[in-house]
Amino acid sequence: MTRRQSPARRREARAGYLFLLPFAVVFTAMLVVPLVYSAYLSLYRRQLVGGTAFVGLANYARALKDQEFLAGVGRVGLVLLVQVPVMLVLALVLALVLDSGRLHLKRFVRLAVFVPYAVPAVIAALMWGYLYGRDFGPFAQLAKALGVAPFDFLGNGTMLGSIMNIVTWSFVGYNMIIMYSALRTVPAELYEAARIDGAGEFQIAWSIKVPALRPAIILTVIFSVIGSFQLFNEPSILRSIAPNVITRGYTPNLYAYNQAFAAQDMNYSAAIAFLLGFVIMIVSYVFQLTTRRKAAAA
Amino acid sequence: MTPRTLTTTALAALLALGLGACSSPSSDTTATSANPATTATTAPSDFDKAMATPTTLTFWTWVNDIQNQIDLFTAKYPAIKVEVVNAGQGGPEYQKLRTAIEAGSGAPDVAQIEYQYLSSFRLTNDLLDLKPYVGDITGEFPGWIASQIGGNGGIWGVPQDTGPMGFLYRTDLLQAAGLKTPATWAEFGTAATAYHTATGNYLTDMPGNDPGQLVGLFWQAGARPFAYDGDKTVTIDLTSDKVNQVLEFWQPLVDNGAVATDPDFTDQWYQGLANGTYASWLTAAWGPLFLQGTAGDTSGKWGAAPLPQWQTGAPVSGNWGGSTDAVLASSPNPVAAAELARFINLEKAPALTLANEQFLFPAMTSILGAPEFADATSDFYGGQKVNALFATISGTVSTDFEWLPFMDYVYSSFNDTLGKAWADKTDLKAGAAAWQADLVQYAQAQGFTVK
Amino acid sequence: MSTLVTRPRARRHPAERRSWLLTVVVLLIVAYFLLPLWWLAVASTKSNSDLFGSFGLWFGSHFNLTRNLADVFTFADGVFLKWLRNTVVYAVSAAVGSALLSTTAGYALAKLRFGGRNLFFAIIMGAIMVPMTALAIPTYLLFAKMGLTNTPWAVILPSLVSPFGVYLMRVYAADAVDQSLLESARVDGAGEGRLFFTIALRLLAPGFVTVLLFQLVATWNNYFLPLIMLNSPEWYPLTVGLAQWQATAQGGTGAQALFSMVIAGSFVSILPLIIAFLFLQRYWQSGLAAGSVKQ
Repeated sequence: MTRRQSPARRREARAGYLFLLPFAVVFTAMLVVPLVYSAYLSLYRRQLVGGTAFVGLANYARALKDQEFLAGVGRVGLVLLVQVPVMLVLALVLALVLDSGRLHLKRFVRLAVFVPYAVPAVIAALMWGYLYGRDFGPFAQLAKALGVAPFDFLGNGTMLGSIMNIVTWSFVGYNMIIMYSALRTVPAELYEAARIDGAGEFQIAWSIKVPALRPAIILTVIFSVIGSFQLFNEPSILRSIAPNVITRGYTPNLYAYNQAFAAQDMNYSAAIAFLLGFVIMIVSYVFQLTTRRKAAAA
Repeated sequence: MTPRTLTTTALAALLALGLGACSSPSSDTTATSANPATTATTAPSDFDKAMATPTTLTFWTWVNDIQNQIDLFTAKYPAIKVEVVNAGQGGPEYQKLRTAIEAGSGAPDVAQIEYQYLSSFRLTNDLLDLKPYVGDITGEFPGWIASQIGGNGGIWGVPQDTGPMGFLYRTDLLQAAGLKTPATWAEFGTAATAYHTATGNYLTDMPGNDPGQLVGLFWQAGARPFAYDGDKTVTIDLTSDKVNQVLEFWQPLVDNGAVATDPDFTDQWYQGLANGTYASWLTAAWGPLFLQGTAGDTSGKWGAAPLPQWQTGAPVSGNWGGSTDAVLASSPNPVAAAELARFINLEKAPALTLANEQFLFPAMTSILGAPEFADATSDFYGGQKVNALFATISGTVSTDFEWLPFMDYVYSSFNDTLGKAWADKTDLKAGAAAWQADLVQYAQAQGFTVK
Repeated sequence: MSTLVTRPRARRHPAERRSWLLTVVVLLIVAYFLLPLWWLAVASTKSNSDLFGSFGLWFGSHFNLTRNLADVFTFADGVFLKWLRNTVVYAVSAAVGSALLSTTAGYALAKLRFGGRNLFFAIIMGAIMVPMTALAIPTYLLFAKMGLTNTPWAVILPSLVSPFGVYLMRVYAADAVDQSLLESARVDGAGEGRLFFTIALRLLAPGFVTVLLFQLVATWNNYFLPLIMLNSPEWYPLTVGLAQWQATAQGGTGAQALFSMVIAGSFVSILPLIIAFLFLQRYWQSGLAAGSVKQ
């Protein structure tokens, strides 16, 4: 730390704070304050009869032993392991295909894949809910016309897959655009040189484009980690058509919501939300750590 | 179907408007009984003063076209303005109500609350005891309704509509299958199996997501699974013989698929009622008109009957649904708010329109017996006097049924325990035991003594 | 090297390199993405009975679109139009506001040296991980104490904060605004304010539009926050309004006609965003590129 700064430097620093100030104010008011308040709430317990008491970390201890909560975390963990790779690989392949220039109707494809991102999750879940319908959904209608038993998209064993499908449908295009935009910035000379050396399109994609996409892929993975752990809209809308399949603790966020409202336990709900944020942070961090190590090893 | 329903709604609204315009001057004279100035403990001068002071009341309700009744109210009390908000139906409204109460602002003066939720809001001292404002109104209703709004010597809501349970069925389909209307549950069970074997369709749908319906059947069977002493003690008894009797009856029908177990109030279920997949519906007094709007194409093919009985002799029923209008303790205008709740539900003109135009099944004895209501015949039910039938059933609902002061939790827990066992066709009694265990654990964690 | 980032390469693809086989395979994947939207478009032309009585992926016997649209726009005194207006107001003010805040903050964090800026940035990054339920409920309680619930502010104010927007703008500003340009202008005696408004802001425009679009979509599609913040239907955005119609369709008296109305309403409500995307595609791709290349 330099004790004495030049006047120019001081002006710059003052400007820095001034430019940051508007955001910092709103950020503090809308994010930090509610978060602190929520942390405060999570340390108390209020009973319907018996009043409020400070309980320290008891709510957190309870959550760590709560089978419903843990099952929900496991479920979104499965989404993370299954749905996220499928979605990102599909997005990557589409981005590479778009970038390869070997496609007719490129603009149409790009837009068509991206459009679901503009559809609110509420409406997406509603639409797919109809499509999945056991009696009137088009898949069931087709199955009936062919004389086979319709597939039950909304059963105990299939629901999670059906939800993953909705999320994939909504977000492939979004991830594709991130990757595609990143691909456009890779200098063309790199490819041309490889092409002259006789490298095929696949080879170029695998050994030049994918490594160049690394930061973009890491970004999409982290967003997907956050998105999967926070899964809420899709299960909460589908719950109205499959009420006994999607339990109140189906995803951790749904559980936090139901604890706050159905069980009137804001304190426990706050603790769950905090733990969830913590899990997201750890998973994102571990992921970044491993990719960094791999990058160093390579 | 779309145009027809819309036209009907529009017509109903027009009629109601006309009726409001004609009857408002006379509504003073048609006032039935509970004239607040005479029966209430609010001094008449205070009452008149409050009702003449310019006030805006906020009223949360999900009743369609409630403006019909509000217009009558404001015609009588021009100083009072009523702002109607539809904050959602049932659960969503209670959630908003709770968060508003929690936050200390934004709660309405009057809110529509179903019977089983009154004690949940009483528990947190959020409801105003209406007795000092509207007097003892319990005499206006059948005994079982009076017991639903009471507790701790107060009156916690003004009954608006009710749902004594009955049985609606397709007369043509039952006839074609050679079945007569089941009068007992034993007959119902045999008929369900026979019907499914003969047609591949279902005599009825009994879903795993509607605790209100199943609890109504427990009620009919004489089970009393819940009780609350108004203080700190609750009773939870979902493993009693009476509950088991109901579950043991349904278990084989659910297991072998003789009855459908599709979630109710979904598009698939609507179609099932409309296209004959389900030949009957174990429903409540609000069901007949609901069904009429849902399965309009099957008009004339339906019949109504009391619920199948466990014992021949005196028929018994339970209740499913219905609401009250309650006044929030936080309301700065308790006199006007209580009068609003009373006026729209107990004055004859608004109460009759609620029953005849907005199709709410009335709570008041005088309306249940009023010729305008009881003598109505319905073409949809082949000319049957359905209102009169359900009015009779209302008199057979047993009185002493209670609820727990945390019904949101009770019902959300149902879907994951007994309801899930129902939908998955596993052991229902084990499901009920899981429900019981979950509720006991919750109640204890919330500081209650569980008996 | 810093200027490379944003400009799309003008590569020419000889037509003979294009493959119809590949195109057909990709079009099959595209069909998956368009299928639900096709269903929605077809379903919004159906009467209620066709909705359940005809094949889902083709038109029914009656073409009922105009009737459905009339229902959508006239039901409950045209409340749908109010929802549309609310959605536009919420989304546009949140998007513009958050893009402005993110731009100034991102510029400051990237280009101006001041104590603690790395700490600020780390805190903002950490905020991306916060689950929405951890925020929405306490925010509701705090807003209620200030009497802000059930007002447009309750939806707009929390949507002004976009940590991702700040991240994007910081990365974008780092590349798009040449440091030497700033230094030489400083030497010429230009104030920091003038530097920002005359030099930086123009260069930051694509990033600005990207953040704007992101927040536009996020606010347009938001369901949870307005759901708990708003009580009066007159303040609802489309998502909450349509979900309430759907709930009423499932639980209300004689409400079956609502199903076709909910579907037509959903169809109408996604059109504005799709059109916005069609026209603004170019901008935000270049903005995103920067965000994803640099980490």
